[in-house]
Amino acid sequence: MRITINGEVEDIEAKDVTIARLLEIKKVESPDMVSVQVNGTIIEREQYGVKVIAENDELEFLYFMGGGAI
Amino acid sequence: MKGFTTRAIHGGGGPEAHGSLRVPIYDSVAFEQESADSMRSAFMGRKAAHVYTRITNPTVQDFERKMQLLSGGMATIATSSGMAAISNTLIALGGAGKNIVTSRYLFGNTLSLFEKTFAAWGLQVKYVAMSNAREVEAAIDAETCAVFMESITNPQLEVADCREIGAITQKHGVPLVVDNTLMTPYIFNTRQAGIDIEIISTTKYISGGATSVGGLVIDNGLFDWSQAAKFKERAGKFGKMAFIAALRQEVYRNTGACLAPHNAYLQSLGLETMALRIDRSCQNARHLAKYLAQQPEVKGVNYPGLPESLYYETATRQFGDKYGGVITFDLASIDQCFAFMDALKLVRRATNINDNKTLILHPDSTIFAEYSAEEKRHMGIRPTMLRLSAGIEDHEDIFADLQRGIEAL
Repeated sequence: MRITINGEVEDIEAKDVTIARLLEIKKVESPDMVSVQVNGTIIEREQYGVKVIAENDELEFLYFMGGGAI
Repeated sequence: MKGFTTRAIHGGGGPEAHGSLRVPIYDSVAFEQESADSMRSAFMGRKAAHVYTRITNPTVQDFERKMQLLSGGMATIATSSGMAAISNTLIALGGAGKNIVTSRYLFGNTLSLFEKTFAAWGLQVKYVAMSNAREVEAAIDAETCAVFMESITNPQLEVADCREIGAITQKHGVPLVVDNTLMTPYIFNTRQAGIDIEIISTTKYISGGATSVGGLVIDNGLFDWSQAAKFKERAGKFGKMAFIAALRQEVYRNTGACLAPHNAYLQSLGLETMALRIDRSCQNARHLAKYLAQQPEVKGVNYPGLPESLYYETATRQFGDKYGGVITFDLASIDQCFAFMDALKLVRRATNINDNKTLILHPDSTIFAEYSAEEKRHMGIRPTMLRLSAGIEDHEDIFADLQRGIEAL
């Protein structure tokens, strides 16, 4: 499945991938400090284990642990 | 993992280098990034990375994760003290022209923050009796940025019905902030009670024997931040995480309120035994309250765990069978209070609570000393009142020491 994360095209081998699983696959080190948007819509934290991503989805991972302005 | 102590011991971080069973103290100010582009990504919030300890640090993050797991909250920030947690939260929520609805029955430094520091910047305070829900509702207006209360007030030991207040704040779209220091998530789950933001001074029960100063802000994920003008833009990016993102990216970062990694380590360690210590402290407090109530020299005992307490019913409904480790009691005069304190050999004269050691303090002449007699009367601070924080010693030894105090009267 081909998706885009933060502007970069990525191929994900697994099927029925939830946001929570995707964060694991991508080895996101601080999932507690990331906000996820799928095709411009914010996915609330309680939906991470439910929302399944689809082919050609465009995702944005926004972290609030950096040092500058976001 | 269902049990509180099991989660406190095993929850939190993942595997550590060398199989270390504890997340070590990362005493490093800055963290190197692999490339200039990667550094830019970290600063722009497009990559997970520790950059600078004033914003995030691995040891501090491990403590935050443990607390998030134990509290059931959605997001957590550890701060340099309980007062830093309160000030950061209200700076984030409020501003000039806004107001906080709260009680005069508050920790002395919190009152001072509201009345002196915040007032100078135009953030106003509206005082109500927190146990009178109608009064709370009447005080909320269009400029109210938060309702602030303590789950058990220190040192007045008033217990208001948090669920009732929570229903009111929800109706008016105002966040309810509760300082849960005296109870902690072990006794009182604020999320289940409908509270939006929980504050804890981790210096107390969590630190495990008064080893280190610290605080926590926990967003329970119940408040819709998109309805608050100040958070609307961030809610567009972070949804329910808007408040905690505003803290991390702005107020917490800019005020330098971070918890030191060494303190985070001590507090993670303290968490592992916290439930055991709280059980013992609450048990001792109940014994001591009953003992003091039987002494003719003691003019009154205030402890929500005594059936004759005004707050016994609310406290029991809210907290179950644990009523905290703090008791207040009155003697006949200030001179008697001082004589009682000076006769003690085991109980320490120190300004802290929920230490392993039993501590005593005369609130009127210490933490409330900056207020006039009239102000103190409104705050429920009597010159004849002593505050006793029950430690975890064997209660027979504490009784014997208090007996020394009684005999000195």
